[in-house]
Amino acid sequence: MLPQPARPERVKADMGGLAAALDYDAQLMVRVKEGDGASFAVLLEKHRSPVIHFLYRMVQNQAVAEELAQEVFLRVYRSRGTYEPTAKFTTWLFRIATHLALNSLRDGRNERLQDSLDGDSGEPVARQLSDKQPSAETAMVNEVKVEEIRQAVAALPEKQRAAVLMHKYQEMEYSQIAKILNCSESAVKSLLFRAYETLRARLAHMA
Amino acid sequence: MNCPIGSEEQLELLHVYCAGERNTPETASLARHLEVCAACRELVAGQQAVWSVLDEWKPPEASADFDRRLFARIEQEVSLWNRLLAPFRPLWVRLTIPVAAAATVAIMVGLIVDHRPAQPPLGPVELAQPEQIEHALDDMQMLHDFNTATRADAANTKM
Repeated sequence: MLPQPARPERVKADMGGLAAALDYDAQLMVRVKEGDGASFAVLLEKHRSPVIHFLYRMVQNQAVAEELAQEVFLRVYRSRGTYEPTAKFTTWLFRIATHLALNSLRDGRNERLQDSLDGDSGEPVARQLSDKQPSAETAMVNEVKVEEIRQAVAALPEKQRAAVLMHKYQEMEYSQIAKILNCSESAVKSLLFRAYETLRARLAHMA
Repeated sequence: MNCPIGSEEQLELLHVYCAGERNTPETASLARHLEVCAACRELVAGQQAVWSVLDEWKPPEASADFDRRLFARIEQEVSLWNRLLAPFRPLWVRLTIPVAAAATVAIMVGLIVDHRPAQPPLGPVELAQPEQIEHALDDMQMLHDFNTATRADAANTKM
């Protein structure tokens, strides 16, 4: 059976119990393995934005981020038959996402697509601001600010960048980041320590 | 507590504190340390400032047709697999599958019927066979003849 988009009410109802279960996502994935397409739609609904946002901050290109996110969820669906709930679902999910993002950055696909999708990738920075309707001046200031943040994050080495994004925006624990990046917890601490030091030095004037 | 500056081991605690967690014994201990350590206060303030700056970076929302495109790709992939596998399914295989399925169902039904609890046996029914009846009639005739003969002998004796 092909997955169908879940109705929002159904998703909300399902999400209500998420806190109760330790890893409800893994249970949903087991159901997907058993042929329940609706569970896949629930997983997609819950993780779509976090995955796209993470990929966007990694590759800093919306079109590429969405293409990679499609690949992430496609791989999740393809792997349903062999899925074993041995780890947290999000660990598995972000491991795929990180792997794809790092590959994309390394093979320069990002730059190539950047050229071809320039109109798309260069979405107005103002769209990314937290203020809903800023004045022209505020928008310009924020545009500069966000551009600085983007550049500061982009300047980080790939693994440091991934670690910071997962720690800051996905609020993941060190142990989970370590599993995703396939390194030790102390290595993650070291990555984060150096990354935050760099960001502090580069962004301190903005505070 | 020892000053956490420069200690990667203490970094997690510092991050936890900066994220707003104040209720654990460890963060309470760090808070007491911050009261007396200006360098750590500066570091925490700098970390919190970096985080609040990072908070301003909002990524754009996903395209409205993201799910539709994904499901279309999945569907395309599934149908592609079906198309790719179709030539490897010869006619006899395609015919064999429903026949095998029907045979399996028939066998299952047979097994179920076979495994039904046995009906309690009826009481023994003795059916008389024609030969038995004939023998019985012969025996009766023989007894009758014997009685007649016995009586006749007795009468002769009295006389």
